[in-house]
Amino acid sequence: MPRTITIDPITRLEGHGKIQIFLHDDGSVKDCFFQIPELRGFERFVVGRPIEELPRIVTRICGVCPASHHMASAKAVDGCFGSQVAPVAHKLRDMYYHAHYIHSHIAHFYALAAPDFVMGPDADPMVRNILGVVAKVGLEIGGKVIRARALAQKIQQILGGRATHLVWCMPGGVSKGLTAAELEEIKPMVEELAGFAEFSLQLFRDVVLANPGYVDLILHGPYTLDVHNMGLVDENNAPNFYHGNVRVVDFEGHEICKYEPNEYNRFVAEHVEAWSYLKFPYLKQRGWKGFKEGIDSSLYCATPLARLNVADRMATPRAQAAFEEMFSTLGGHPCKALLAAHWARLVEMVQNAEMLERYCADPEITSEQYRVIPDRITGEGVGIVEAMRGTLTHHYTCDANGICTSANLIVGTTNNNAAIQMVTKKVAQALIKPGKEPDNGILNMVEMAFRAFDPCYSCATHYLPGQMPLTIAFYKGGELWRELKR
Amino acid sequence: MRTLLLGMGNPILSDDAVGVRLASDLKRWLPPVPSMDVFEDCNVGGLNLLDVLAGYDRVIVLDSVRTSDGVPGAWYHFGLESLKQTLHLTNIHDVNFATALALGYSLGMQLPDCSNVHVFAVEVDDTITFSETMTPALEDAYPGFAAAILKEVEALVTPGPG
Repeated sequence: MPRTITIDPITRLEGHGKIQIFLHDDGSVKDCFFQIPELRGFERFVVGRPIEELPRIVTRICGVCPASHHMASAKAVDGCFGSQVAPVAHKLRDMYYHAHYIHSHIAHFYALAAPDFVMGPDADPMVRNILGVVAKVGLEIGGKVIRARALAQKIQQILGGRATHLVWCMPGGVSKGLTAAELEEIKPMVEELAGFAEFSLQLFRDVVLANPGYVDLILHGPYTLDVHNMGLVDENNAPNFYHGNVRVVDFEGHEICKYEPNEYNRFVAEHVEAWSYLKFPYLKQRGWKGFKEGIDSSLYCATPLARLNVADRMATPRAQAAFEEMFSTLGGHPCKALLAAHWARLVEMVQNAEMLERYCADPEITSEQYRVIPDRITGEGVGIVEAMRGTLTHHYTCDANGICTSANLIVGTTNNNAAIQMVTKKVAQALIKPGKEPDNGILNMVEMAFRAFDPCYSCATHYLPGQMPLTIAFYKGGELWRELKR
Repeated sequence: MRTLLLGMGNPILSDDAVGVRLASDLKRWLPPVPSMDVFEDCNVGGLNLLDVLAGYDRVIVLDSVRTSDGVPGAWYHFGLESLKQTLHLTNIHDVNFATALALGYSLGMQLPDCSNVHVFAVEVDDTITFSETMTPALEDAYPGFAAAILKEVEALVTPGPG
């Protein structure tokens, strides 16, 4: 009798994913769906509002990466006002965004990725969490992690006036600049974060790379996909998280396309499936070809690894050295091993810290010319930034009075929707075999597939626990037969 | 005792706003409380909460919750022990409240101790539709549960007679 396995990390109110695995009679995996209850109506909610309010409203879309929405929205609104932006404002926004990246990447690496690698992917769930990591690597490192996050948060607060839910970016610039005194306050924090980024890379070498089993899992496990890569790059094809053109490179390293933000809808389209609330973006000029891997596929990833895969180089020297070490270890550039995204985050963090150092040494950074008052309304703008979780696009139009008439958003995780579906199925098929009952270890190995993408589906980030975070349910003939919880 | 009154939620996500609204109203309704700060509109969770809670001796959280068969407007008052039934990941991109606190305790941060974490959670209905208003059922129930929660919070934060 066919059975259904459900992996359900829904814990509270928000719409996190549910994995349903359908089994053949013999216990092998027939199919796998990752379903997302998406939040409703945001694009409609903002229609009719003054367009300059949108950067302040969109931070409420998502409590996980509100700064990414703020930045993409600010750039789209800049476009609606003719893109007259004070040069130092771009630098300040970028500076803020590097601090935001560090803040986010620390949480992902230490709280989410490290438990799998420090404690082991099949370790008891009671210890496979950040508390287990801290117990194993030591309280001193735990304290470093918390301190580094607090420093990154403080830099954001100094620059933007508040650490989260910014009201800082305005058409033509920002609402406050950086004073010389504030810059002096930031400098030692940046120095410490630069050290922490290097420390994290070393920890990765010591804990992950020193374990041949983990390296084998990354390189030869089921966590690979033959799909393409998307990311924002600068004029040298180095990663740029705030500004640049979108580059798509296939998994063999050949450029498929490169486009300016306002050209996005010539290059990306979204496919709809009846069983999912979330759309499936694909490369428009190739057409929707289904959930297919291969060099002709129209699917892509937009992850930290994808960002490094589309890059020819990093923007800063220490990050470049880390980039070369990473791809050399992984067997070349680009790399299809999705779990390498965790390593890529750390390489990015080195660039983030170096860019902060660069801005601290920039004499223009304390300029008081941090806003240009726009003198025209052109009516349309597209803003693209790299959210930590993927390329983020905001596209707005407004009328002659600056009132929003339409909004379209393609959020970071949406880009990865198809890839997440495919790799989850692939891992389930590799691990769940006839005659072998799925256990919590297998459950976690399946979960690791989508965790590599650091997916973000909800936009109300507060959560109280109270229910088991992960449930696996077995059905026989439509009846619940067995249930595992953790 | 330094106390933090924390309104959790998204002010533009229908019923998800209830914690934010309660915090705003309780701030006005409560008599002056020495050493109490009100963070009306906290929209972060996980490890970020450690930064918010650091330095406080007591935290009172106002939030929404949805349980199976829950009736919008019903509310609960529970403590940290109730949150400890799981110490794992409850959110796929961060850690949960209890885990964040446990980590903070283990690192020696100054945080409210177990007996000084109070959560008031109101049953809600719609938390996935962007709207500046709550659903009619929750709106109708609001005066009743807001008054009741006010009474309990007031008892917590104001010293008893004598």
